[in-house]
Amino acid sequence: MRGVAIVGGGTAGWMAAAILARRLGSGFGSIQVVESPEIGTIGVGEATIPPIRLFNDALGLDQSDFLRQTQGTLKLGIEFRNWARIGHEYFHPFGVHGTSAEQISLHQEWLKLRQMGEKHSFEDYSLNTVAARRGRVSGAGAGEAELWSVYSYAFHFDASLYAQYLRGYAQARGVSRIERKVVRVELRGEDGFIRALHLDDGTQIEADLFIDCSGFRGLLIEQALHTGYEDWTHWLPCDRAVAVPCESAGALTPFTRSTARTAGWQWRIPLQHRIGNGYVYCSRFISDDEAAATLLANLDGKAQAEPRFLRFTTGRRTKFWNKNCIALGLAGGFLEPLESTSIHLIQKGLTHLLNLFPDRNCAPVLLDEFNRLAINEYERIRDFIILHYKATAREDAPLWSYCRGMDIPEALDYKIRHFRASGRVVRYGSDLFAASNWIAVLMGQEIWPERYDTLMDQRDTGQLQASMRRMRRTIRQAAEAAPSHEEYLAAHCRTVPQ
Amino acid sequence: MPRTGPAPNWTRQISRRTGLDVHSDRIRSIAIVGGGAAGWLAAATLARLLKPAFCEVRLLDSGQQLPGPISESALPSFHRLNSLLGINEQDLMQRTSATFKLGAQFVDWSRPGESYFHSFGSLAAKLEAVAFHHHWLRLHQAGLGGAFEDYSPATVAAKQGRFARPVADRQSVLSRYSYGYHFHAASLSVYLREYAQAHGVTRIERPIAEVRLRAEDGFVDALQLDDGSSVRADLYVDCTGGQNLPCQQPYRSPHIDWSHWLPCDRALALPCRGEGPLPPYSQSIARSSGWQWRVPLQHCSDSGYAYASRFTSDDQATALLLSDLPGVALAQPRLLRLSPGRPARFWDRNWLVLAGSALEPLESTGLHLVQTGIARLMTFFPVSRFSPNDLEEYNRLTIMEHERIRDFLILHYKATARGDSPFWTYCRNMSITDTLRAKIELFKDSGRLSVLEEEHFGDESWLSVLLGQSLTPSGYDPLADVLGIEEVTAALGFMRAKIRTAVDALPMHEQFIEQQCQANFMGAP
Repeated sequence: MRGVAIVGGGTAGWMAAAILARRLGSGFGSIQVVESPEIGTIGVGEATIPPIRLFNDALGLDQSDFLRQTQGTLKLGIEFRNWARIGHEYFHPFGVHGTSAEQISLHQEWLKLRQMGEKHSFEDYSLNTVAARRGRVSGAGAGEAELWSVYSYAFHFDASLYAQYLRGYAQARGVSRIERKVVRVELRGEDGFIRALHLDDGTQIEADLFIDCSGFRGLLIEQALHTGYEDWTHWLPCDRAVAVPCESAGALTPFTRSTARTAGWQWRIPLQHRIGNGYVYCSRFISDDEAAATLLANLDGKAQAEPRFLRFTTGRRTKFWNKNCIALGLAGGFLEPLESTSIHLIQKGLTHLLNLFPDRNCAPVLLDEFNRLAINEYERIRDFIILHYKATAREDAPLWSYCRGMDIPEALDYKIRHFRASGRVVRYGSDLFAASNWIAVLMGQEIWPERYDTLMDQRDTGQLQASMRRMRRTIRQAAEAAPSHEEYLAAHCRTVPQ
Repeated sequence: MPRTGPAPNWTRQISRRTGLDVHSDRIRSIAIVGGGAAGWLAAATLARLLKPAFCEVRLLDSGQQLPGPISESALPSFHRLNSLLGINEQDLMQRTSATFKLGAQFVDWSRPGESYFHSFGSLAAKLEAVAFHHHWLRLHQAGLGGAFEDYSPATVAAKQGRFARPVADRQSVLSRYSYGYHFHAASLSVYLREYAQAHGVTRIERPIAEVRLRAEDGFVDALQLDDGSSVRADLYVDCTGGQNLPCQQPYRSPHIDWSHWLPCDRALALPCRGEGPLPPYSQSIARSSGWQWRVPLQHCSDSGYAYASRFTSDDQATALLLSDLPGVALAQPRLLRLSPGRPARFWDRNWLVLAGSALEPLESTGLHLVQTGIARLMTFFPVSRFSPNDLEEYNRLTIMEHERIRDFLILHYKATARGDSPFWTYCRNMSITDTLRAKIELFKDSGRLSVLEEEHFGDESWLSVLLGQSLTPSGYDPLADVLGIEEVTAALGFMRAKIRTAVDALPMHEQFIEQQCQANFMGAP
């Protein structure tokens, strides 16, 4: 391998550069990032899921420093408003419900008590949810009381700052940054591999492996290699977004909020210095102006910039890895950030790349395995997102009527059917989200099992009630004893005001 | 604010008073058909997990069993059963003439004269985030690094005939292995039967004369016994392996045949006197039309020959087996039938086939599949007497599980250089499943392993067999090169020495058994 060229200097490009710089030795040639000075990063507030911590750990980043540098905050889950119906809300927490990771049938026990008339919400059994609702957090993984093994967290941060942070990391480890525009991609005649990138100053960059992080347009994977794109807009019809940051007002919530609106949904991502907001919408059902007006009318504080518009087509490349080119981030595909999976998909792509790292021949068996893994993961996340749209009682707007009635992928339909019948969660090997996540969203969106697991009827009801009561109390007490989100940030990683 | 939404939309009758038995049409009785180790294992597990008042469990023991296997081998997953049932290992081993199993030795599979071990353990830790075996492959291609087996504490111990239980300290190389068991099959059945009966399982010792079906939906209505009485249950669990049942079997789903990939369809077995020290592993030796096993028990050695009837006759097979016994034969050989394949549906209406697939014993998966089948039945315990969803998901997972094991077994036959008999020529040239082919091709490129859903055998197992059967990759993970070769050579040399030193201090297997769990059973083999 005589070098890797990364096209695009956004979050994907610098994540790739950082981890490759960390893992590749000098024997692999240079790592170069070509970043067009004209194209800005899509620098919205970014929400993540817990595996981001593994990525940061693999780089050896210090959590407090990372949060300081990226205006980051902690995230315990997502609050969903108005999804199942207007006025309804639920929380999708990280971690698992209950007080130990082994309580795999907790929701069945809860369903049984529910059927007997008990009123406690299932959310009372989630430490993440109970803590998040009270603005309480823990920013440590291991080393705490055993109860906290059920807890998990991720981050909100400024994606542009994260990219900058990783750029500094990568450059300190020998990655070179070339601020030029790619004007032509030259393919090899014999096998169609990319040979070189021609830049606007007349120079060229040669490499054996090219990573396309150029965003939606897919400069290499699509414009040069014509890989093809699978369109999923019949399942996920939103095709635009408008984003704007605003001033914070009130305490920092340790969770993302997603509010369903007439023609899509609005995100709210709290950072240390401001709140990131956006409206993801379907252009068939609302104009850009109306969408922007809706967004601006629903902010916590004063808008800090003009609204910025984005266009996208939900779906994925037919191959993420084609010839000697791997597409990451938006160049690989687009899934709306409803479950904060964008950065995770970049991370996962990099993990597979490192596990299947090729020599200059890019053996087809490696590509096939990479694509098999990546496609399965993409599709399972897609299904999880579709669930939010499908499982709604809303009929107040054309988007929601469409989603209620649409056909869904067979793998998702099978899951929903099983959950309805017995409260059991079908698991696929490539599922990112665990049973606890599916249960939170399925029941959150008011898909109720018709029956609970009959084995629950073997249990003594009085004992079950007592143990569930103890569990609620333990969780509530633990949450109340934790520091507030503000306190945590102040103590560990408050950004120095500029 | 915590949300309190509306109550679930229950569609069935609800008893709010007691909360019990709201599922008025739930499963209340289970009949297990077949009384071997599989049947009693199922019975013991169900008895442990189902209260008699909640669900009655009965077992039909036909009383006129065809001869079963002499030994049953258990994978390390058997420890889960021990802890679930609260079985004392020492007691179990004493009463079943059992020995410890660190793995199996495969002799003459890739070519005559070569052998390898498939032992139970986990790979050594990654170095610089690159899987251990890539570092080994790198050294190996440079003529360094010793044998792959030298890095497996279980294999090193097995070769020396040593055994002790692994230690809990994760820093020690002796934490990096596991073990299974070799049991005397009939004694294991008795052991599990006594457990099951003590936990409320009723044993019915009569042959089945007829399986009566309900005309309207094809469900099994009752099992009619030879004395005219009948047994009715909501769910029937078939542990017969397809034998000992009346031959008309409309209630059994069609058999999907795998004998074109797994050609051994018969086996002969007999007990021999064990000679020499007790090995902590079984042997499987490739022969002209199949393979021969040797399974050590405390009081004898189970010796058998699994063969393909297309390539050899029963007489030839008998002669071959008798010509090569490890000790004096203690009985005449018994014939066992294998039917490599699976039922199209493991669970069909109210009939669940638990031990019917009869995958061959090459990788000792028999008891394991009964365990996982029962565990899965508990996971998908039917919410009603007919719950198509539970059954559908049970089948989906069970089929995947069997197909993954199938691929692992096929690998043993396919990856051979032998062409010394029509059987091996056939195996070497046969077409294989797409899933296995993709795995082999990926591995041959650069030593990468592809893990599919519901895979029981992990990376170390696949590596043992792939490398053991001489499928050496042409490359390895290029990222292994971030370490200097001297550094890797030193690190791996240190690892080998550490394993050797630790294993040298272990007791001999035979001595360990004598001290800890010598059989108090000396019954007929």
